[in-house]
Amino acid sequence: MKRFNTILATVAALGLSAASAMAGPTEDLARSCNACHGLNGVSVGPSMPSIAGLPEKYLKNVLLQWKSGERYSATMGRHFTGYTDEELSKLATYFSKLPYVAVVQPADDKVIARGKEATERCETCHGATGGAPDDDETPKINGQWAQYLEMELMKYRTDSVKMPHKKMRGNAKKLADEDVAAVAKFYAAQPK
Amino acid sequence: MSFNRRDFIKTLASTSVVFPMVVRASPSAGKARVVVVGGGFGGATAAKYLKIADPGLDVTLVERNKQFVSCPLSNEVISGHGKYEGLLAGYEGLVKRGVRVIFDDALAVDPAGKAVKLKGGTTLGYDFLVLSPGIDFNFAAIEGYSEALANTTHPHAYKAGAQTLALKKQVESMKDGDVFLLSVPPGPFRCPPGPYERASQIASYFKHHGKSKCKILIADANDSFSKKGLFEQAWKMHYPGMIEWVAGASGGKVVKFDAKSNTASSDFNDFKGAVVNIIPPHHAGLIAMNTGLTNDKGWCTVDMLTMESTKQKDIFVVGDSTIHGDLPVYGAPKSAHMANTQAKVAVANILAKINGQPAPEPFFVNTCYSIAEKDWGFSVVHIYRAKDGKLVYDTKAGGISPVNLPDEAALKLQRKLESEYCIGWFKNIMADAFA
Ligand SMILES: Cc1cc2nc3c(=O)[nH]c(=O)nc-3n(C[C@H](O)[C@H](O)[C@H](O)COP(=O)(O)OP(=O)(O)OC[C@H]3O[C@@H](n4cnc5c(N)ncnc54)[C@H](O)[C@@H]3O)c2cc1C
Repeated sequence: MKRFNTILATVAALGLSAASAMAGPTEDLARSCNACHGLNGVSVGPSMPSIAGLPEKYLKNVLLQWKSGERYSATMGRHFTGYTDEELSKLATYFSKLPYVAVVQPADDKVIARGKEATERCETCHGATGGAPDDDETPKINGQWAQYLEMELMKYRTDSVKMPHKKMRGNAKKLADEDVAAVAKFYAAQPK
Repeated sequence: MSFNRRDFIKTLASTSVVFPMVVRASPSAGKARVVVVGGGFGGATAAKYLKIADPGLDVTLVERNKQFVSCPLSNEVISGHGKYEGLLAGYEGLVKRGVRVIFDDALAVDPAGKAVKLKGGTTLGYDFLVLSPGIDFNFAAIEGYSEALANTTHPHAYKAGAQTLALKKQVESMKDGDVFLLSVPPGPFRCPPGPYERASQIASYFKHHGKSKCKILIADANDSFSKKGLFEQAWKMHYPGMIEWVAGASGGKVVKFDAKSNTASSDFNDFKGAVVNIIPPHHAGLIAMNTGLTNDKGWCTVDMLTMESTKQKDIFVVGDSTIHGDLPVYGAPKSAHMANTQAKVAVANILAKINGQPAPEPFFVNTCYSIAEKDWGFSVVHIYRAKDGKLVYDTKAGGISPVNLPDEAALKLQRKLESEYCIGWFKNIMADAFA
């Protein structure tokens, strides 16, 4: 190959700028989550949940439950069996500390009204609009992706897959078929 | 003691020792210069994450096309289930992040002089180079097939773009009862489940367009394939009798093609089709080959834990061009997802080098979704871990979606969820690279 007439023949190692603080293993691992869950855990794909800013306890619970198989997942369990409990726990902490970004998805007024009516049983744990859950074990769901929420409800409504939360399962199953999408759209439309 | 270069420069400034420093003509003197060649899934992700890791880095991306066309979901465009526009991405997002994007062809790399020469005449000096040129084809491996045929009458459509639309048109022109012939090259090729997803998508098109008597014949150079059990289950359920697979051992390996009679031949069989789709064997992107980074099989060997070329220092190769990982044939699957995580590992290592720090622990993960029919998706997951200085595929984790589930409701749920996750994955990974 020809030798190039380059401006710089020698790399002056002295001239390289020092990079900003190194990321560290948890952040490096977390970055691999971005491919599916969005930069800094804020998803731009409606079937994939945003995971930034969800309560730490909730994240820890679901990560470990997926790993053990206690909670059904279509895909995540196969990932988490590859990580130690400690790594998962640190990941949960990492994402819980990132800001929660509600992606407000407008919907037809009638659909939202119908959804609101059907969320009567959800309110006690998730709060009136999904943004102020009762405790640290309950996820925020305001401005979460409607499609994802609807698919989670489908899981809870399918008896033959394992879902750990009895109360949630019971209430999800009480929803009328026609209300499932409306409930998801109602929460997705809430800024707070 | 960790003594990084900034400290060193500070120390230098406070002493009166005069160093014979090379004068840099670059306007960004003092910053590490990283050149990235190839703005696909690997290269775009690398350029973006370099800027995220250190906005002060001088990052230049060289890409020959102004618009990127994604291969993932391109099979769904051929079948009409997806839109071509959905495959496109531009480079404005990277420009906004401070990446200098040059639309040009990188012709050659001079590893000793640390420079990349572009077709337009520019020469770019670098401190670190990231190569992610994807794959190129070995057309000569199939006698009678050629790049000229691929660009005209016989698209391979295995690099997405005009050929994707050309193949779509051919499929749409097929009459009920016609045969679609798909020739699969020996592994490793990009997207191990890709050909079989393509067969499924085309079957779906036939099924939903009154062409149920059409047949799809897969002439395969290999004796097995990715997610075989899942594909076969889907074919039996959704397209009974429509798809036939001929393994390499049964004479499926196509070595010859006659364009006039639309006949592809192995050493044992002649296969005819109304439409013949030949996917030629692959090797690393030409620029990587020309730089001498490839092994005798045409793939770039890399340090498994850092993605640095084993042949040249300070050149990191990511994506389809590499042979990486410890799985048979593939090492690690050539997927957009793998390219994405490899790029992030390369970035972390470049930063470590700049900072004079030890190589960080690498995390490699892959999820490949396939959609076999509407609401019928499945996946394979790979997790690799660094163990005792080696990269090891974790056999306890990962694997394919379950073939059997407790009942029909659970099966339908699983397949529905993954068909939707596939689309969500696509949106996020495109954004992770280009936004
Ligand atoms: C039909 C099909 C379906 C697929 N589906 C999936 C899927 O569902 N999931 C998945 O994870 N993967 C999928 N893949 C695989 C995926 O497309 C590749 O693994 C991925 O694109 C690899 O990224 P890369 O950066 O190595 O190469 P590419 O994305 O191909 O990028 C290479 C880039 O480099 C540029 N380039 C090359 N040489 C030069 C040069 N000398 N100068 C300037 N520019 C240059 C090219 O123009 C190109 O933009 C699929 C592939 C196919 C064919």
